[in-house]
Amino acid sequence: MLGEFWSELRYRARAILRRNDVERELDDEVRSHLEYEVAKLERGGLSRGEALRQARIAFGGVDRIKDDTRDAHGVSLVEHVIQDVRYALHGLRARPMFTAAVIVTLAAGVGVNTAMFGILDRTFLRPPRYLIDPGTVNRVYVEWQRTDGKRAFDRSYAYTTYADLSRWNRSLSHLAAFAFRTMAVGDGEETKPLQVGIVSASFFDFFDARPVLGRFFGPQEDSIPAGRAVAVLSYGFWQSRYTGRHDVLGTTLRIGKSLYTVIGVAPPGFEGTSDGRASVAFVPITAFAATIDRNYYKNYGWGWLEVLVRRKPGVTVDAASADLTSANILSWNAERVLESGLAAASVVHPIAVAAPIQLARGPMAGPETKVVVWIGAVAFVVLLISCANVANLLLARALRRRREMAVRRAIGGTRGRLVQQLMTETLVLAALGSFAGLLGAQLAGGGLRRLLVDVNDAWPVVTDGRTLAFAGILTLVTALLAGLLPAMQAGGVDLAASLKAGTREGAYRQSRVRTTLLLLQSALSVVLLIGAGLFVRSLQQVRALPLGYDLDHLMYVETSMRGATLNPAEAGALADRLVTGARAIPGVTNATLIESVPFYSSEGRNLRVAGIDSVRKLGRFQLQAGSPDYFATTGTRILRGRPFTADDRAGTPLVAVVSDAMAKILWKDENPIGKCFRIGTDTTPCTSVIGIAENTKARNITGEGEFMYYLPMAQYVATLGQPSMLALFVRVHGRPEDLVETTRSRLQPLMPGSAFVTTQPFHQIVDPTMQSWTSGARMFLAFGVMALALAAIGLYAVISFAVAQRTQELGVRIALGARGVDLLRLVVGEGVRVTLGGVAIGTLIAFFAGKGIDKLLFGVSSRDPLVYGIVASTLIGVGILASAIPASRAARVDPNVALRAE
Amino acid sequence: MTDDRLDLPQGTLDLLILKALSLEPQHGWAISERIRQVSRATLQIPQGSLYPALHRLERRGWIKAEWGASDNNRRAKYYELTRAGRKQLDAETDAWQRLTTAVSLVLDMG
Repeated sequence: MLGEFWSELRYRARAILRRNDVERELDDEVRSHLEYEVAKLERGGLSRGEALRQARIAFGGVDRIKDDTRDAHGVSLVEHVIQDVRYALHGLRARPMFTAAVIVTLAAGVGVNTAMFGILDRTFLRPPRYLIDPGTVNRVYVEWQRTDGKRAFDRSYAYTTYADLSRWNRSLSHLAAFAFRTMAVGDGEETKPLQVGIVSASFFDFFDARPVLGRFFGPQEDSIPAGRAVAVLSYGFWQSRYTGRHDVLGTTLRIGKSLYTVIGVAPPGFEGTSDGRASVAFVPITAFAATIDRNYYKNYGWGWLEVLVRRKPGVTVDAASADLTSANILSWNAERVLESGLAAASVVHPIAVAAPIQLARGPMAGPETKVVVWIGAVAFVVLLISCANVANLLLARALRRRREMAVRRAIGGTRGRLVQQLMTETLVLAALGSFAGLLGAQLAGGGLRRLLVDVNDAWPVVTDGRTLAFAGILTLVTALLAGLLPAMQAGGVDLAASLKAGTREGAYRQSRVRTTLLLLQSALSVVLLIGAGLFVRSLQQVRALPLGYDLDHLMYVETSMRGATLNPAEAGALADRLVTGARAIPGVTNATLIESVPFYSSEGRNLRVAGIDSVRKLGRFQLQAGSPDYFATTGTRILRGRPFTADDRAGTPLVAVVSDAMAKILWKDENPIGKCFRIGTDTTPCTSVIGIAENTKARNITGEGEFMYYLPMAQYVATLGQPSMLALFVRVHGRPEDLVETTRSRLQPLMPGSAFVTTQPFHQIVDPTMQSWTSGARMFLAFGVMALALAAIGLYAVISFAVAQRTQELGVRIALGARGVDLLRLVVGEGVRVTLGGVAIGTLIAFFAGKGIDKLLFGVSSRDPLVYGIVASTLIGVGILASAIPASRAARVDPNVALRAE
Repeated sequence: MTDDRLDLPQGTLDLLILKALSLEPQHGWAISERIRQVSRATLQIPQGSLYPALHRLERRGWIKAEWGASDNNRRAKYYELTRAGRKQLDAETDAWQRLTTAVSLVLDMG
């Protein structure tokens, strides 16, 4: 057996490596055989010529036998492939236009899909790197009943809740808490806002990661009350900031307010569970939390941590959820002891859910997640379209090569061999196209990702194994989809008919396959374009929503005090300096202090209103405080009454402006001006309503107006104490982008110590809330246009080809008196017929499939007639254009030339 | 062309080639001639299958080939049984004989 194996190996190796020798020997052998046969026949009395003839007949087709013998070598497959690849490359070079069209089409399909796969993979499939046994690890969510009866999810826990869950669960082997926050990292000029992982010491036990330098922190450094201020650097940050120096251990790094001692460096690519965003360092929860709230481990007020759990062996997800639910109820009851205002667990029914680690697969996945899935599907449609297009191009080419194929079969090529060769050609094309597509994905992928998932870190495409494997499979599938049908058709060519007929006779037939492919392409592009139209309209609607402030002219200025402690007088003086400083900047028209930022941070206090039991039950009331110019700066209109002014100071009667929605819910139809509410308890002084402001959006851009009340900053400070932050809205004349840097550099010198200022256009904070419509609109539009272009190329190619094939026929028509216009109409009519068919089918598909995206749209029906109309007329226009060019060629056919051709 | 020629049953070509080579090394044409003569022209080896079969046997290591000069000084590729080939011939001959005996028994049944 073994001997046979060796013999086989030696034989094959020789056959491959010394191919020429083996070939020559085979030739010699066949020749020698024929000579013997001839000699024998001559001895039998035949003439040499006749003997030669009979010997050949007896032997059969020399080439075929040689082929069969080569097959027996067992190398023929490899050899055929090499031969076919060479042949294919040669053929492709000979037709550069065809080759380019196919490669570009495939590159579009494969590139788009590869880039989308990278995104989908990382959003839904891929577990965090280094995570041990991801199947047993869950992220914990809590679902509870809101006062309005709706169920809501949360995944932020107080440290105390986390400790309770650790203590009271019975089904988990590991628990960890974590939070990823952007904080000021570094000192002086080097200070930058960067992401830091705040994690429990147990967090590292979930991962099979070893520090490349030093060590991770342990339980003794992450202990109540204040742990120890140590930090583990990420590999990337260690490389970029410290150029990989080993003496980094023991040095200190300022993160937020405190100095942390570096004790280790995490391995490359270790991100923890940060959902794709790289952190620069990891610090113990207790060390960080103590700098924010000294009692963080005793109360339940500060929910900021997420919880990661590993189930004990054999524990199902449901069992873990049930166990976590009971542990959470115990914790809830413990919280009620401290906070009497909290509703009983029997009222809110908190249910814990052990969900997959990937946010997108958890219960709180946002609409942008669904949009990503939709775009993935759309990308696949683009692939289908490009396959259809390539199949069409290949069919046209195959038709042109019918005679070549017929000749090759006549001289002994088997059908299988021809199909194999054509498939090789398609594979070569697919590989070239995929390669171009991969490059495209690598180049354009970054932009795509930023559009869709807001991740800035570079994701490699070309060096990522999973993505490459996907691209490889995709290439094969594409080649099969696009190439098999044309190859089968060409391989099965009818010998006699093709050899007899020139291109003149019967060569032009309306190919049903090609028409179907064209229909499919235009139908799919109609579907995509309708999708694009619907998202564009949604985005328009969302943009047109009144926000209640002047988004386009506002800049948000935030300060970070970094431990610099100011007494109230100094803080007030600094705030005044900043407002004055900002106003002095050319291009700035106004500025105001603020206490909360829509879509970013909010503040709420208990309100007491005469005649209403529990104001809290009515919903969430949010507080904003501002300088006298607050409303002039934000552009929020005062509907009735007056805004507060510089005269509403500490010591004067307390006043507030309330939003229209708040006035309506508290006082119904009564005149709200002059009404009184109390902030805090029943005994605090009365705050009188002096004005009604238009509604603003602060949490949900498509939601109702918020219950907002606005206080003069001076009174806020006097009654409620120091603001939680020192921040400004600055109104500018033009685009806030143009003044961001100027404002920062003008305000920075006003800051004490290592405190610093960051500035950004306010719309950058609001934009992410429109993300799902923005990315939906952009992606559908990009893919839709791509699909349209492909469909146009396809139509153009097929019509041109048809015109070329019909040259004689057209010539005859002209000779018989047809005018150019008639031919134009004839050819264009054909293109338009196909397009109309595609529009009809596509519209039908969109009409019924559109229901699926209804929830993702805003303010527009998935059957919006305007969108359908525009898309249909666009497509018909493109159809006319794509067939008009070849049609004009048809109209110019010279009957003399046409009839003599071939 | 006579009609008393038989088509070779599947798989017997290998056996015949091995047998033809069991006495002395031969080249391709001689092998087919020998089989034709010995079988009194009943067995005609389809020439189209001879060379593929030879190369297949060579690949398996049952025969080996060498170039040599023939009687009238022509260059020819001579095939020769290897040890493995001899064993294979014995085994196949044995199997063939048992098969034909068994088939005859069945046919003679009456």
